Amino acid sequence: MLKEIEDIKAKYPDTRAALLPALYIAQKEFGWLSLDAMKAVANALNLPESDVRGTASFYSMFRLKPAGRNLIQLCTNISCMILGAERLRDLLKDRYGLLPGGTTEDGRFSLVIMECIGACGTAPAMLVNTDLYENLTEHNIAEILGKYK
Amino acid sequence: MITLTINGKEIRLDKPVTVLKAAQQAGIKIPTLCNHELLKPFGGCRLCVVEVERMPKLMTSCTLMAADGMVVRTESDTIADVRRAILEFLLINHPLDCPVCDKAGECELQDAVMQYGPPTGRFIEEKRKVRESHDDPILARNMERCIVCTRCVRMCEDVQGASAISMIERGGRTVMEPFSSRSFNCEYCGNCITACPVGSILSRLYMHSYRPWQMDKEVETICGYCGVGCSFVAQVRDESIKRVIPRIGFGMNNGLLCSKGRFGYGFIEDSGRLKTPLIRKGDALVESTWDDALDLVAEKLTEIKDSYGGRAIGGIASARCTNEDNYVFQKFMRVACGTNNIDSISRTGYAAAQKYFEGLLGQGINANIIGGIKRSDMVLVLGGDPASVNPVLGLSIRAAAKAGAEVAVIGHAPGLERYKTINVLPPLFKEADILEALLLEVFRARGNRGESHAIDRAVSEFDKEYSGKTDMHGLEELKDKLLKSDSISIVFGMDLVQRTDGHRALFATAGLTHLLEARLYLLSERPNEQGVIDAGCVPDMLPGGRPLGIPDFRRRYEDAWKRPIPDTEGMTLMEMIEGAKKGDMKALYIMGDNPVFNLPDRTFIKESLASLDFLVVQDIFLTETAELADVVLPALGWPEKSGTYTNLERRIQLLRKTVETTSGMDDWSIISRLSCRMGYDMLYTDAENVMDEISRVSPLYRNLSYKEISDKECLWPYNGEPLRGEAKDIKVIKEKSRDYDADLYLALDKPLFHSGSISQRSPGLMDISPEPRLKIGTRLAEKMCLKDGDNVIISADRGSISIRVSIDPCVNGKVVLMSNNFKEKGALGIMGYNLDPVTKAPGIEGCAVTLRRG
Amino acid sequence: MEKFLLRNTENPNSADIEEYIKTGGYKNISKAFELQPSDIIEEVKKSGLRGRGGAGFPTFMKWSFASADKKFPKYLICNADEGEPGTFKDRPILEKNPHLLIEGMIISGYALKAEYGYIYLRGEYPYAYDVMNQAVRDAYDKGYLGDNILGKNIKFNLVVHLGAGAYICGEETALLDSLEGRRGLPRNKPPFPVNAGAWGMPTIVNNVETLANIPHIIEIGADAYSKIGFPDCPGPKLYCVSGHVEKPGVFELPMGISLREIIYDYAGGTKNGKKLKAVFPGGISAPVLPADSIDCAMDFVSLPKAGSMLGSAAVMVMDETVCMVKIAHRAMKFFERESCGKCTPCREGTEWLRKILERIENGRGRNEDISLLTDISNNIFGKSFCALGDGAAGVMKSILKHFRAEFEEHIKEKRCRFKQKD
Ligand SMILES: Cc1cc2nc3c(=O)[nH]c(=O)nc-3n(C[C@H](O)[C@H](O)[C@H](O)COP(=O)(O)O)c2cc1C
Ligand code: SF4
Ligand code: FES
Repeated sequence: MLKEIEDIKAKYPDTRAALLPALYIAQKEFGWLSLDAMKAVANALNLPESDVRGTASFYSMFRLKPAGRNLIQLCTNISCMILGAERLRDLLKDRYGLLPGGTTEDGRFSLVIMECIGACGTAPAMLVNTDLYENLTEHNIAEILGKYK
Repeated sequence: MITLTINGKEIRLDKPVTVLKAAQQAGIKIPTLCNHELLKPFGGCRLCVVEVERMPKLMTSCTLMAADGMVVRTESDTIADVRRAILEFLLINHPLDCPVCDKAGECELQDAVMQYGPPTGRFIEEKRKVRESHDDPILARNMERCIVCTRCVRMCEDVQGASAISMIERGGRTVMEPFSSRSFNCEYCGNCITACPVGSILSRLYMHSYRPWQMDKEVETICGYCGVGCSFVAQVRDESIKRVIPRIGFGMNNGLLCSKGRFGYGFIEDSGRLKTPLIRKGDALVESTWDDALDLVAEKLTEIKDSYGGRAIGGIASARCTNEDNYVFQKFMRVACGTNNIDSISRTGYAAAQKYFEGLLGQGINANIIGGIKRSDMVLVLGGDPASVNPVLGLSIRAAAKAGAEVAVIGHAPGLERYKTINVLPPLFKEADILEALLLEVFRARGNRGESHAIDRAVSEFDKEYSGKTDMHGLEELKDKLLKSDSISIVFGMDLVQRTDGHRALFATAGLTHLLEARLYLLSERPNEQGVIDAGCVPDMLPGGRPLGIPDFRRRYEDAWKRPIPDTEGMTLMEMIEGAKKGDMKALYIMGDNPVFNLPDRTFIKESLASLDFLVVQDIFLTETAELADVVLPALGWPEKSGTYTNLERRIQLLRKTVETTSGMDDWSIISRLSCRMGYDMLYTDAENVMDEISRVSPLYRNLSYKEISDKECLWPYNGEPLRGEAKDIKVIKEKSRDYDADLYLALDKPLFHSGSISQRSPGLMDISPEPRLKIGTRLAEKMCLKDGDNVIISADRGSISIRVSIDPCVNGKVVLMSNNFKEKGALGIMGYNLDPVTKAPGIEGCAVTLRRG
Repeated sequence: MEKFLLRNTENPNSADIEEYIKTGGYKNISKAFELQPSDIIEEVKKSGLRGRGGAGFPTFMKWSFASADKKFPKYLICNADEGEPGTFKDRPILEKNPHLLIEGMIISGYALKAEYGYIYLRGEYPYAYDVMNQAVRDAYDKGYLGDNILGKNIKFNLVVHLGAGAYICGEETALLDSLEGRRGLPRNKPPFPVNAGAWGMPTIVNNVETLANIPHIIEIGADAYSKIGFPDCPGPKLYCVSGHVEKPGVFELPMGISLREIIYDYAGGTKNGKKLKAVFPGGISAPVLPADSIDCAMDFVSLPKAGSMLGSAAVMVMDETVCMVKIAHRAMKFFERESCGKCTPCREGTEWLRKILERIENGRGRNEDISLLTDISNNIFGKSFCALGDGAAGVMKSILKHFRAEFEEHIKEKRCRFKQKD
């Protein structure tokens, strides 16, 4: 992890700019950004820890609490909403017991409600980890999620 | 020249400022919330909006730069409407708990609402809830009241440079966190309390105890913790200090304080304060009366003087006492006791360094204006952490770094860890080597200044004698940067004086200061280290730094004091103590210090003091030293007295009596009563009266009066005579560093939250830092499998101490650091020492220790 | 119209550098390098190109301010944050035509004497991140990026920087703070980024689509370019259509085409032929237009006259089944969530609006709520620090203006009529 962060530093005129990339790396490594993970980033970049935490907490894609193995990022913004995204959200709750911001008991999925993910033309849409799924329906969503263990 | 019109009034500006500032200059008030004088404009709250002709939108005056020809209106119906709307927005989530909020009465939001706010609320939804946080010592945080002005964050980051506070989350969920020193770098300066316009950040020391309008008095005074001497206002009720608040525009601290200054005043009300004089009866010290105690002291001192002569009596003055106290003390010693054996604990650091530097480079060399640091393009920090020893001076270094200055640190300075730009890592205890090498590199690159100073000759001679080449990590870079810089500040800490070969580092630093035309600063742990010297509490100088050995000077003082002054130089601090052990010294008079605790080698010091025929201790607590005394005289703490302190810039400042007490007596007053009893009358009416005399006799304080001190800045030489010149000849001693090959050494830590032992009697500081810790490096911790908070026993040949560890990545692997503040757990007690033959300061480096779990 | 921005994107390998070169790609670099940097800026001026990021600011103006500044290095930043809900127009360029963007940035960098470029890409586009990174690597390998481009003494280095989920980081100054590794809070202006932007240096921030237009201007010349579409702000434009239409998608059309044409001729009309109710013509920060206003031209000049803005040209179509209170509520939830928190009106106002709308939607509205909503919107509008707050207030006001009756109905009936259909 430290090596990767070192490499990134070289891309910017100032080390602080490597903070977002470094947080991504730490998040990948630890699954989420615990205080310890953020401390490691702070040390690697010689930044105050509070700054690292303040910055991380600003961005919705950084997870400051433990997350499940697979992260469902479901868009419910207007284009997705009017084409049924809220029904999908309810379905996740009913079928998997998955609430926005929550994680399934078996740790398989976490759900985050997203603002627009830029798939409005193929709404409703979601990202599972880094895979994009479009034109979701109550039928195909179960099949898609079945691929993630 | 910029000319603009605000509310029909024409305003001329010499330099560009914001519209808000321009209005303020013209006496026009614009309401603000996120704006703060010490901080850069933010423009978030939107309360300061104004109308500007030819601009379509309302503009925030705090961010808008005034431009020529601008026409501004700061009040109109539209503006009032917007301000009302902004305040309504702020109030929807702000709890209306003014009746229980400690900020009520001085809350900026409350004030703004009174003037512009909506009469009733239209918000019927539920307010945001945020739990009140008690996670921090001293600070109570109530983010429900937060209005997201971010002043605390900006204060912490931009001004204090601690960066312990950040905005967490975003939008309406934003809160200001995390503070806590446990895992974030909060320095508990409390400047965020100053910054917060509402009741979100408060000091627990005064919460729920009073209302700001219920004060009996407000006293403008200065802090008595360190040699910076910050100004503040103490608020007092029922003769008890309720809080201190720094004021913008006052003193060189301009609105800032450190943890000690802000939270450290509680010691004055400690239950352990001495109330009556004590006299030894066998093994016990029993309560007595002033008359009996003073009579006894007078009798004993006279007896010893008569039998052994003045040389058998010594006096230890105090850098926590005022100039007036110290002046009276040395006069008493010299004239009534007939001895020049006068020194202070400052000999272990400041006084030793000051004497050396002044001797080489001339009087006043080590005292420069703190503000100059900010304007440096390079700061070299040697042997100490300014950010903890003199925190507010430390801020100037951080500010310089933020403005782009290079910062190099030689020594342990965790407070500058994020600010240093050059890494120099000399081997353990061999800082002198690198400084000498640096001096030669600079000399070879630039030559001497060609004005034929003694120091120039000494450096050339040193160059000739020097053989080896020092090749150390970072040296080259440091040299290059030094040579490139135009304006260099050297900040010199006492760690390098407390060395057996401390004079080497001092010589090299003196040479560098001279060749680079640098400004030199000495870190000063106590409030009046410069003053104690100025007042003449040194064995070789009369008040005003006039050498005792020069008959002319001596005669002047003899004329003024109407008594002869012994003509031989007295003994220095350690010589007196060692003299006691040898039996040459029969009586010691110790005013306001605690050598048993504050000097190395506890057993030896105790034995020495026990060998005396007579020991007098004047203090506010029954210290380890007072416990050994024959007579103990209760004195006053600095918030209880009037007088002056001279800070490390040689700025003379007024200490104003803040609270009345019946516990003790002014130090100068005790001494003068005693003096009268010994047949030399001192009839001072008050401290000001003492200063009148000082200003008549001391060339440095010539014609100085309390009135002038309170009216303007007073730095010596004050209407003074010319200062003393530099040395005529300097003897160069070329030595090699000793080798240090033990596995582990103990070194002295200077913590941020403590100073001397009074800080431990201050509940505020004890809340922040309740116990001593042994700081160990990461590697050692790993090797010994130690976690933060684990207990260890540290043993040196002078004793062992059981203490908990804390892991500090900035600590060199071969040392452990321990402070000398906590009773029974002072590092100095178990360390031995060797006197530096030149400076006479005790060298404490190279104290080998072992560590085991326990 | 011949496609330029989306040229060859039906080809599944369009992102491949070889494929791009084969179809004429990277030729415009050599052509541009024959011109003086100032000539290119002049061409861009003559072309009439306006920024496609939302505000429609004339591109050459930004460029000339930045080139007039004597400080170096200068930075060229591509705003690929595409955060405006309903917007997915930059995505096809990023995913399918990455080299067009790179080519545009190389030429722009040359024109602006900016030797360092960053693409600030939203975190929500992991696929585009991979494609862009690969494309940048390939361009380096082929010598289009680096210290000696095409063997000439011309330097341009490019880094793809991933955002992490914050709409406000699309605002150019917040983007700079974010790029520097901070919380994305908008900065005070002045100084403007063109004088003191990234790391305090002169910085040009342009949208993906804006930069992707540059090769075209070089290719066909400013004169020909300026004749495409609406003369006041010419050029090809990407419109992205979503919501209740038969054929949603991104369409490259000449600037100034009418909203009706876009919906009915290109996006296949409303879904299942239902009645059109309202359209966001430029993302949810642009005021809503009711069904009877769709004959206006979709460009930076005409839409403001019709009471809205082109914004990101994200056309979101809503049919009669949609509840406008709910739309307003969802929009405010977005603004509340995405408000950075720096300024009072936006931070507190969006939350307050959302809470009131939630109440009305749930049948607990009060008569005074409508005037309260209006008041709050007015109190935000023009008082916030950046345009996010204005956007929120503007949209709220437009919905209230055109669909006030629906609010009254909710309040009166104490329920939402649309909910039951669901
Ligand atoms: C709240 C807010 C969000 C924005 N988001 C984006 C965005 O996602 N992408 C973008 O290109 N411009 C966005 N902008 C506009 C940018 O501030 C800026 O005007 C644009 O990047 C300039 O590029 P252009 O001149 O090529 O249009 C946003 C502006 C605001 C106020
Ligand atoms: S309008 Fe204000 S709070 Fe909202 S995003 Fe802009 S600066 Fe932040
Ligand atoms: S004081 Fe100007 S915006 Fe807050």
